[in-house]
Amino acid sequence: MGGMDDLYREQILEHHRRPHNQGTLAAPSISLEGRNPNCGDVINLQLQVSDAGVITDVAFLGKGCAISQAGTSLITDELRGKSLDEVLSLGSPFVMELLGVEVGPARVHCALLGLETTQKAIASLRSK
Amino acid sequence: MTVRLAETPVTTWHNADGTLDPVKVRAAYPILATRPGGRPLHYLDSAATAQRPQRVVDAVTKYLFTANANPHRGAYTLAQMATDGYEGARARIAQFFNVPATELVMLGSATEALNLVARSWGKANLRRGDVVLVTEAEHHANLIPWQQITREMDADLEFIPVDDVTGEILWDRLDSLIKLKPKMIAVGHVSNVLGSIAPLAEIAKAAHQVGALLCVDGCQAVANMPVSIPHTGADFYAFSAHKMGGLYAGGGLWARAELLAEMAPIETGGDMIHSVRLRDAEFTTGTQRFEAGTPDASGAIALAAACDLLDEFGREQIHAHETRMIERILRELPEVLPDARILGPRDARQRAGLVAFASELIHAHDLAEILDRRGVAIRAGFHCAQPLHEQLEVGSSARVSVAPYTTHEDLDALFAGLRDARTVFEG
Repeated sequence: MGGMDDLYREQILEHHRRPHNQGTLAAPSISLEGRNPNCGDVINLQLQVSDAGVITDVAFLGKGCAISQAGTSLITDELRGKSLDEVLSLGSPFVMELLGVEVGPARVHCALLGLETTQKAIASLRSK
Repeated sequence: MTVRLAETPVTTWHNADGTLDPVKVRAAYPILATRPGGRPLHYLDSAATAQRPQRVVDAVTKYLFTANANPHRGAYTLAQMATDGYEGARARIAQFFNVPATELVMLGSATEALNLVARSWGKANLRRGDVVLVTEAEHHANLIPWQQITREMDADLEFIPVDDVTGEILWDRLDSLIKLKPKMIAVGHVSNVLGSIAPLAEIAKAAHQVGALLCVDGCQAVANMPVSIPHTGADFYAFSAHKMGGLYAGGGLWARAELLAEMAPIETGGDMIHSVRLRDAEFTTGTQRFEAGTPDASGAIALAAACDLLDEFGREQIHAHETRMIERILRELPEVLPDARILGPRDARQRAGLVAFASELIHAHDLAEILDRRGVAIRAGFHCAQPLHEQLEVGSSARVSVAPYTTHEDLDALFAGLRDARTVFEG
């Protein structure tokens, strides 16, 4: 069982059991569903963005593995006050640092579901 | 199924009472002695792909090193040896399924076989408003080709439902659905999620009474139970080589000669023609018409060797062994993981090869990851049957599948890993 406690540390399990920013926004600027097609992880993410292009609020509802839900919970905690450009520049190392663990290749897409859905939401907001 | 296909068991693989001994069987599969990641391998994902026996790889090596040339071409001795090897393999595989070699089309995969039926038979026979009937539990390979062709031909796709709670396919609904007078009924012989064995003889009877054909996806049946295709009542039967211990590429389609003769090839090119002029071509007859290009002779050789081994194990014996393994999983799983929702029948005798389940406490992916720490390999996800999971309102499921080489030690490791997972998630 060596190494298991790294991935399923209490912090990750806690975010999985009680995700932060869970729910919906009253007047989101954009809503987007993110999915991992093969595993069934799904999140519905909402962002509220100011005219200046800064994220002012975020909420999500999700279902899926601990890594996908904890990853989304952790990343959403970081979004408020960040500009859209700042969020677009974030990559996988940022999420891994939040999780506090290097996720194996098979789980990277789980870990990144929150960030990637956020970035797709921003792209789709901009193309509106 | 009462048809007995297995030859007298060779005792190398059996106990004194004639039952299969998985510990002896393991010796035929070199990978089972390896330690991926430094852990013993408990491979419980044979429904995704079976492990390869040493003798399958040896047969391919021997063929490639002693008889390799392009089959069906060339007038020299070696080319004839290559052709004999390939056609001999086809004959062996046909014998395994109890069908004539002249009716067995060798293809790249079961997916290719099912696409061939949908695109060739479907294109020629479906008209506006015609009905194709499939189950809600189909593997994507026996669903999407029918979605595509019914859309193209303006035909209708209808569904035999599953019970939302138990996940069992509601075959008795066929009584009313058959009144739609479907042209084609396409079902899996064994569901790759529910594990349930379809009552093919009854389905075939109902289908044929209204003039429908029955197309069967046999992928999850052929390695796990005796399959004599003529006894299934199927009009088309597709199977995949790698689930039987063959190589990755390879699969086949059986259909009666008359049906094949009426079907147009989808792929055209070399090795499937009678004569070619600059502006048109005449296709050859028989199975070769559907096998354009140089055939995968090494894949056929491998599959024939895999058939030999499965018959040495005895397919009745394989099925009996796997049923015992499944009985234990069905019995112990609720004790070890009380919130596990088992998808499909609770009676092991109605199943072949696999058990899938979902847990609210532990997502299937987390479970697979934690089991991997003990070297236990299971499948997590939708298993290429997403609509079924949506119907059952299951985000994703964990699937345990068994094989002739599955031992009680493998299941001990599975249950130990499930206990680990509970400890982690219950905190």
